Amino acid sequence: MSDAALRDPRIPAPVIDRPEDYLHVEQTLSSWFFTTDHKRIGILYLVSITGFFVIGAIAAGIVRLALVVPDGSILSNEVYNRMFTLHGVIMVWFFLVPSIPNTLGNFLLPLMIGAKDLAFPKINLLSWYVFVTASLFTLFVLLWGGVDTGWTFYTPLSTQYANGYVIAAVLGIIVVGYSSILTGLNFIVTVHKMRAPGMTWFRMPLFVWSLYATSLILVLATPVLTIALVLVFVDRAFGLGVFNPEQGGDPVLFQHLFWFYSHPVVYVMVLPGMGVMSELVTAYAYKKIFGYKFIAFSSLAIAVIGFFVWGHHMFYNGITQYSALTFSLMSFIVAVPSAIKVYNWAATIHKGQIRLDTPMLYAMGWIGLFVIGGVTGLMLASTALDGHVHDTYFVVAHFHYIMVGATVVAFLGGIHYWWPKMTGRLYSEPWGRVSALLMFIGFNMTFFPQYILGYMGMPRRYAVYPESYQVLNVLSSAGATILAAAYLFPMIYLVWSLWYGEKAGDNPWHAKGLEWTTTSPPPKHNFRKMPIVDFDPYDYSNEPPEE
Amino acid sequence: MSSTVGIELEEQYHDVEQQREAAKLGMWTFLLTELLLFSGLFVTALVLRVMHPDSVTAVALHLKFWIGATNTAILIVSSFIMSVAIELSRLGRQRPMAWCMLGTAAFGVLFLMLKGYEYYRDYVEHMTPFLSFRRYELVGDPASRLFTNLYFITTGLHAVHLIIGITLMLVMAWLASREGFLQKHQNRIEITGLYWHFIDLIWMIVFPTLYLLNR
Ligand SMILES: [Cu+2]
Repeated sequence: MSDAALRDPRIPAPVIDRPEDYLHVEQTLSSWFFTTDHKRIGILYLVSITGFFVIGAIAAGIVRLALVVPDGSILSNEVYNRMFTLHGVIMVWFFLVPSIPNTLGNFLLPLMIGAKDLAFPKINLLSWYVFVTASLFTLFVLLWGGVDTGWTFYTPLSTQYANGYVIAAVLGIIVVGYSSILTGLNFIVTVHKMRAPGMTWFRMPLFVWSLYATSLILVLATPVLTIALVLVFVDRAFGLGVFNPEQGGDPVLFQHLFWFYSHPVVYVMVLPGMGVMSELVTAYAYKKIFGYKFIAFSSLAIAVIGFFVWGHHMFYNGITQYSALTFSLMSFIVAVPSAIKVYNWAATIHKGQIRLDTPMLYAMGWIGLFVIGGVTGLMLASTALDGHVHDTYFVVAHFHYIMVGATVVAFLGGIHYWWPKMTGRLYSEPWGRVSALLMFIGFNMTFFPQYILGYMGMPRRYAVYPESYQVLNVLSSAGATILAAAYLFPMIYLVWSLWYGEKAGDNPWHAKGLEWTTTSPPPKHNFRKMPIVDFDPYDYSNEPPEE
Repeated sequence: MSSTVGIELEEQYHDVEQQREAAKLGMWTFLLTELLLFSGLFVTALVLRVMHPDSVTAVALHLKFWIGATNTAILIVSSFIMSVAIELSRLGRQRPMAWCMLGTAAFGVLFLMLKGYEYYRDYVEHMTPFLSFRRYELVGDPASRLFTNLYFITTGLHAVHLIIGITLMLVMAWLASREGFLQKHQNRIEITGLYWHFIDLIWMIVFPTLYLLNR
């Protein structure tokens, strides 16, 4: 149906040459809080998770500050425990899990497959409300009551011995899980049923493939965490004792249920980042991606194999050596699809027309950090080496390279790349490049010393440590201040650009993909008429972009 | 006939067929998450059985097998009536359909009443280890308390789902008391039906896992 047919003929046609974009179509506060537009919900998520990121980062800053001195004189043991729990819980469930899927994913998925919206716009809004309610509740609990179990809630510590508001925190995390489930469900149905004519599975951008794989994990893994935490809840509240050995329960069963969720959820954090990488690398090498199908299927392979590796967290926690070996082998196998992706990106960059703009700088940094994080992950997956370094700072460094190095860097790279699409404005390129470089330096300075500390034997989760570890700890804390600056700059210049940034135009990077064919910012239903897709993804001619 | 049955198109879809398929796939995906939610409890039950076979068997022998079996039959009948309701909704016969849904809800209530009686018998027989003020009278071994507790958690979670299902039935039947409901929202009956069948399916796993397997 054309626009003219929709209009009442008695009213004269408005004199605008563009449809009102989604930001300006309605301006009231209630038009934001009751919106069902996936783009606005993406923005709502962006604002809320940025808030949680800041809180989680402040907690991390306090932990790093306390670790400057070895004698634990800055924070008491109890406050230290509560601080790293606050940091872990907030960062994992209220920032990393929703980070890319719920902001960039929410905004881009319908645009990339040529849909007017997600399949269930009201459920999308509901998921945001569930998220905000549960996260504010949990934040309140963590700040006022305090929880000192770490983000893993291991039993019987969490059920028998820990002080603090474990019950309430667990409840908040159970509820926020439903926001993940609703988002995953919405994405799965959208990818299956909402694609524009001609948008076949193998014409979908790789970011969409990675979101699809992520959604499968969200839907399959989250309910298992829910029930595990429900059992912790009833155990602590009513003494039901499923995980209490004194009552014949099995504390290790909790670890199995927990890691059955929590290993795959690492891929919830990393897969969307990999999807962003595929987009950035092609756009800034200005070249068709190398090995499209390999990258697409490796996302699915990671999602599937990722469900069979959870035991690598428990090599020394009461599983037999035979299952330890099996889990070790599976963990090596799950690294293969990740490596395939890295090779394909490298091949894409090879002989490309490389532009080292901000998003590409983030992307290059990403590859470096991910390779270090991935290779040390393989070290941890080897049963013998893990015996030496498990529960040390080596583990802490490893998962920060993956969860911060890979997820946050891709998130920032993606935010910069799609910023003109989301806001219609350009950010400051020099400031962007400086921040991307600072981020890489600050990150390595913070976390590389922790590999060495861990290898030397410094255990994680203690406020007090031997003096011989102090130099590297101070170095790590100094790096954290650089990292903080690298996070602060984008927050400032991106917000500044909303008012003072140059108008971006529809496609400032000359990128390919359906989302760049519509206006910036896009109209409420994304496209003025339904797109018909008759081109392959990443349809770069391998010619330099016309500037 | 086709004019009396249909769906009101929502703005994000291109056509009614797309909307119908999206709703169905969405419900199936949700039900998959529900299955995984319960499977955590099933795994725990099996772990307990492997670790403490004797005390689990002792508890299972005290579960009211005949009440469980009758309830299984009740849910099968309710699902059958729901299938009839769905068939009627496709034919556009709104009033008989609403009556069938009330019938489905009635069987659901019957299930809950029997379940409540079963809980009462458990209470009388001192089989409620989570009540700190009441003596527990089965085998002294702590694992038997665990399995009894798990029985209450699992059947309780199922009952919560059933209560949601009954509420849905009543709301849908009430909405369908107005003229023209099926012209706009026939889809909702299909989706509600999926959910109801699924609760029954869960019970078909709960019953053998708790009552049968351990006897
Ligand atoms: Cu893992």
